[in-house]
Amino acid sequence: MEGFRDRQTLIYTFVLPVCMYPALGWIMIQGLLIVQGQNSARDVTVGLVAPAELAPEATQAISARPEDEASGGRVEVLPLDLPPDADAAALRSALEEYDAVVALPGLPGGPKKVRVLFDSTRSRSGTARDRIEASLERWAEVLRGRAAEERAIDPRALDPIDVSSESVAEESDQANVVLSLLLPMLLVFMSVLGAFFPAVDLTAGEKERRCAETTMLLPVPMTAVHLGKILAVCASAMIATTLNLAALALSAGHLIDQLSAAADRSIALELPVGALVKILPLAVLFAFFVSAALTGFASLAASFKEGQALLGPVQMLFILPAMTAQLPGLALDSTTAFIPVVNVALAFRGLLVGDVNALPLALCAGALLLLALAAIWLSVRLRSNEKVALSGETLSLGSLVGLLRSK
Amino acid sequence: MTQTQVASSEIAIHATGLKKTFKDPERGAIEAVKSIDMDCRRGEIFGLLGPNGAGKTTTLRMLSTILAPTAGTARIDGVDVTEDPLEVRRRIGFLSGSTGLYPRLTGRETLRYFGELHGLEGALLEAAIDKTIADFDLSDFVDGHCGSLSTGQKQRVSIARAVVHDPPVLILDEPTTGLDIMASSDMIEFIESRRAAGRCVLFSTHILSEAERLCDRIGVVYSGRMLASGSLDELRAMTDAEWLEDVFRALVRRADADRDRAGASA
Repeated sequence: MEGFRDRQTLIYTFVLPVCMYPALGWIMIQGLLIVQGQNSARDVTVGLVAPAELAPEATQAISARPEDEASGGRVEVLPLDLPPDADAAALRSALEEYDAVVALPGLPGGPKKVRVLFDSTRSRSGTARDRIEASLERWAEVLRGRAAEERAIDPRALDPIDVSSESVAEESDQANVVLSLLLPMLLVFMSVLGAFFPAVDLTAGEKERRCAETTMLLPVPMTAVHLGKILAVCASAMIATTLNLAALALSAGHLIDQLSAAADRSIALELPVGALVKILPLAVLFAFFVSAALTGFASLAASFKEGQALLGPVQMLFILPAMTAQLPGLALDSTTAFIPVVNVALAFRGLLVGDVNALPLALCAGALLLLALAAIWLSVRLRSNEKVALSGETLSLGSLVGLLRSK
Repeated sequence: MTQTQVASSEIAIHATGLKKTFKDPERGAIEAVKSIDMDCRRGEIFGLLGPNGAGKTTTLRMLSTILAPTAGTARIDGVDVTEDPLEVRRRIGFLSGSTGLYPRLTGRETLRYFGELHGLEGALLEAAIDKTIADFDLSDFVDGHCGSLSTGQKQRVSIARAVVHDPPVLILDEPTTGLDIMASSDMIEFIESRRAAGRCVLFSTHILSEAERLCDRIGVVYSGRMLASGSLDELRAMTDAEWLEDVFRALVRRADADRDRAGASA
């Protein structure tokens, strides 16, 4: 109760994360839309290399903008004084003055390769490339129609093979794959952030407030006091994670609507509540592991500020492996099940997409249980050390082994 | 050292050969307390007198089970500090500059928390809280967060916290250090009231006038050893000195001379 009355702990543990994810998501999407809008609105200049008889039609075709993008930027096409079969060096040289260069080899009538030169390091050049490709696609459609009409045949006959690829995955499954990449990492982050400040407050903060000795006078076993602290930190981590997920779920609808509009297609993304329930036992074990480890390490610090500084690098021990676990091709198996943090992130991912075998999952749960117990032992052992409990100065991480060996 | 023979049932604190060694990676083993023998009786105020670094705080921390002795034994109200530290904690009230209050709990919540953990419950607990609030005149601020109280108010809540369970033994580490005149006077009155209630009070100080005024018996601690203990008259007789300051100096000089002799003969 004492810990939960600290405004700083409440803000950093509960309020900030709850507000942070929706706010960050909103800012990112607004930023994306602004960038997209700016890209769409800007004018580009294209150099055209084409035979004289083809140039007017090509200019018109490339500079034409689709009706549904009437508000978009213009494509200005300027003829280049180069032969249609100009070599690459000459075209590349011309590209220095234009956003893109289009080289048309000759009159239409057979398959001809149209070269579009652009500079992928220049954003404007990329925009020009996109517009040129779309324009050429539309022009090709027109030319195909015209040729078919001249031959009095169905235009579709000029495209004897019509390839259409479509994914058989349900939208919800696709959404699960996206979530399975993001959520495991977020769950690890949320647990670590949720445990961070209570762990510092109940250990280093207590020393700073000169209450550590007061607690040691309580007529209860000190092991029970230490376990109670770990439990309180773990409860904070789990509450913070739950609130974070709830905030994500509540704000997801609004964010997805904006993403759908930006991507011009429907995106169905929902938090998979069923899968999250399956994750729960592992998440609880992981929260105990994180809480015990952070509480133990924070015990070395003599003040809240020093505790924060000490746990800064320690929390990276959790966050970096969680990020590594997002690498494509990595999955939970009998080997990865024993790698701390990576195992739980992979297990989360597997459970979210429903693609995980029982044996690695059981091994992961067993390994996590052992890790949690080891972290609890380490934390209790450290906090039972007289030097750790009463020292007026922060002890270094390097002294850890010595402290664990002495009483 | 003069020790008046008393019945063992009268002894509230008994320590023999108490020793504490700290291991320091740079300085090696540090003997903070080398050997302390002492007896404190019920209804008595016993003062541990010594300069800073003499080992007073370490001794009191061992007696209150915060630190484990490296060697020797100590019994509080008949209970061994090493064998049953929880029972020892139930029988003592301990107060020092390091035993701060939880700043986000109110004074009343603090009393309830400590009262409950000391085994009080129900009407007994409420009665104990009410009595403590009345005894220490806390009613005006007992429902405010401890962090927002003045130094004097904090000190009164701290004392109340230490005695809410009415322990037979009270251990105080330099209880008047840092207090203003009024708060210091309140503390001295409180210590005398505990003696009047038949409790044993052991306190450390380096303020000679405080020891002279309050203590029934005084133990002089220097360099981790108990140089002598007894009533003021007994200490005067030992040193042929009148004032406590001179008594203290005489004992310290004698100890230094003994150490020098031991060093020379070695």
